[in-house]
Amino acid sequence: MDAYLDNLPTYVDRIQAIKETILTNIVLIGQIPAPTFKEKNRSVAFLDRLAEFQVDECTTDGYRNPIGVIRGTDDSKPPIFVVAHLDTFFPKDVDHNFKIKKDSITGAGLTDNSIGVGVLVSLPEIFRQLDLRFESDIVLAGVIQSIGKGNLRGVRHLVKTWPTPIRGAVCIEGVELGRLSYYADGMIRCEAQCTIPAASSMEYKFRPNAILVLNEIINQILTLRLPQRPRCRVIIGQISGGIKHGVIPFDASLGLEIQGDSDRMVKAIFNEVKDIVDGIRHEYEVDLDLKTISNLNAARLRYNHPLVKKTFAIMQKLDLRPVSGHSESELSIFLSRKIPAVTLGITRGVNYHLANARLKIHPMFTGIAQIVGVIQAIDSGVCDE
Amino acid sequence: MSSSWLENNTFHFADFADLDRLVSEKERRELTISLCLPTLNEEKTIAKEIIIMKSELMTRYPLLDEIVVIDSGSTDNTMEIAASFGADVYEADQILPSLEKFKGKGENLWKSLFVTKGDIIVYLDADIKNIHHRFAYALVGPLLLHEHLKYAKAFYDRPIAIGKSKVRPTGGGRVTELVIRPMFSLFFPELTQIFQPLSGEYAGYREVFEKVPFPIGYGVETSLILDIHEKWGLDVIAQVDLEKRVHKNQNIKALGKMAFVILDTFLKRIENLGFIDLKKKMYNEMIQYNLVKNEYKADILQIGGIERPPMIEIPEYRHKFSITGKPPGRQKQAMPESSDA
Repeated sequence: MDAYLDNLPTYVDRIQAIKETILTNIVLIGQIPAPTFKEKNRSVAFLDRLAEFQVDECTTDGYRNPIGVIRGTDDSKPPIFVVAHLDTFFPKDVDHNFKIKKDSITGAGLTDNSIGVGVLVSLPEIFRQLDLRFESDIVLAGVIQSIGKGNLRGVRHLVKTWPTPIRGAVCIEGVELGRLSYYADGMIRCEAQCTIPAASSMEYKFRPNAILVLNEIINQILTLRLPQRPRCRVIIGQISGGIKHGVIPFDASLGLEIQGDSDRMVKAIFNEVKDIVDGIRHEYEVDLDLKTISNLNAARLRYNHPLVKKTFAIMQKLDLRPVSGHSESELSIFLSRKIPAVTLGITRGVNYHLANARLKIHPMFTGIAQIVGVIQAIDSGVCDE
Repeated sequence: MSSSWLENNTFHFADFADLDRLVSEKERRELTISLCLPTLNEEKTIAKEIIIMKSELMTRYPLLDEIVVIDSGSTDNTMEIAASFGADVYEADQILPSLEKFKGKGENLWKSLFVTKGDIIVYLDADIKNIHHRFAYALVGPLLLHEHLKYAKAFYDRPIAIGKSKVRPTGGGRVTELVIRPMFSLFFPELTQIFQPLSGEYAGYREVFEKVPFPIGYGVETSLILDIHEKWGLDVIAQVDLEKRVHKNQNIKALGKMAFVILDTFLKRIENLGFIDLKKKMYNEMIQYNLVKNEYKADILQIGGIERPPMIEIPEYRHKFSITGKPPGRQKQAMPESSDA
């Protein structure tokens, strides 16, 4: 039943034999800018490439997530999903042209998640190269509107409206090879926006400072006592505002995320943050709002779930040391619907979230082999308990 | 000036997207195709070009038979990277080593004729950031599907209206619009229909390339058009819209040097054709000025108008390709073969 485990190390070289095709897919799709809510061009390229690889069905769902379906050999088996989010953090005006050297590829959006999308599109050709057929249909989905304000809308819609049960899922992320995410924290992502009303004549010199108002919010958040159990934390992730050095800012925003393994505790902390914001609004007499832009429920597989155990075995077979960690991505949507799923990384590199992210090419083939191994594990029934 | 050439010989890359058809036509006609990338310090872009061409036009569709890199002496890792991704890499100086050595793009292209095997040769600049396999298949397409065409040139996205509702990219960069287009308008108005005569991407039959001289530097694009036009006429030339091309931008001084070489090439050819009579030999120095510490200093660059003879005249080439008979002498006058020169 587990014969594929023994074959896994041989996959690496066989996958590497078509490295040009895999890299070509990463380049041709990844060089198309796809900021959240503007993924259309990349979505079209995604489907075009799948069609060129003669995937059985290439279509979009009702939310315009591009999907390819490789038909399985057994109609009675539910489909296996392999997903990567199409959108990236980088706006259209950032240069998206990648540079490839002997063992590295560099460019904006590669880490999150162009390399993942390129690998996803390459899977039909990789399966052909490895001479693999599956009992289940394999659904290859490049989901849209995933990150930031996208709030995982694409994958939420895809999973919610899929007409059949789903056997299991693999979520692909660019980095880091060796990660194994099988649990997702509860999360509330919010944005505090401070606006100082316009003043007439010379009054503008004496207005409150929008950045200092947000600074007061940060100071008060830092005084919160957070429990160690359930585990939770507040991440101050983004701050922006102001016009120039010598002008008091009248507009500023603060992005923060509350994460924890208890939905109840995440909600309680969110309420405390909201109270802080309400209090400062009242005391400073400024326009100050706290908007929730995204939220997720905590969900997890047990450590001893067969999919987790088998994924560990697959990674060890490929000489990878599995590192467990939570994920706030597509994984949580599958897990919250009781669909066994894991998130895996493809390669390693540097400057992960910068426009000059540089990823190594060679480890990628091991990263792809583990993904194929996990698909085979699901197809052989590890999730069918 | 007839506009039929523009309508009949202008294509869009999408016209050739059926790669199965191109491959079957290539096989039916028993042709081989070489892709040649001339390089000089292109380590940032060379790998991507090779990877995409190899994946799409060799592994998935056997349209290309070889990818050859001809390097002018890069000091970065261009050659090593190109070789690591499977291209056949040559140093220009090592090809035909008994000949005097020159540096330049035209020199690389000329020498590629000696080391490549293809009946059709595709030349692509190696600095294209947004490289896509259309850059090669769309240039080969017209030659495979229209037997009378012998040479195809690329053009890109600078829109101009043709007719009532047709908008086509046209025009080139600054050198095209300020130097070549005015010169074509003055002496060869029919050639103004070639939207971007200086584009570095073109394909043609070996039997054409081997019969024309190659300036060793930037003048090669101009000379190819003028010589092919003179020898075989405009009807054997096609142009293909490749839409967008992203590449390095050159500063105005570099463009000045390019314009110098192109003018030199152009003037010599129209003199040979008897269009003008130069009473004095032209100088071979481009003189530009720099302000250095409040002093204007001349920056003089010798750019000799050196040209390689048609490759078919080189004995080593004739031997390698088993060409028998007497080598043709260089033709200085308009060829009688020309139908519309």
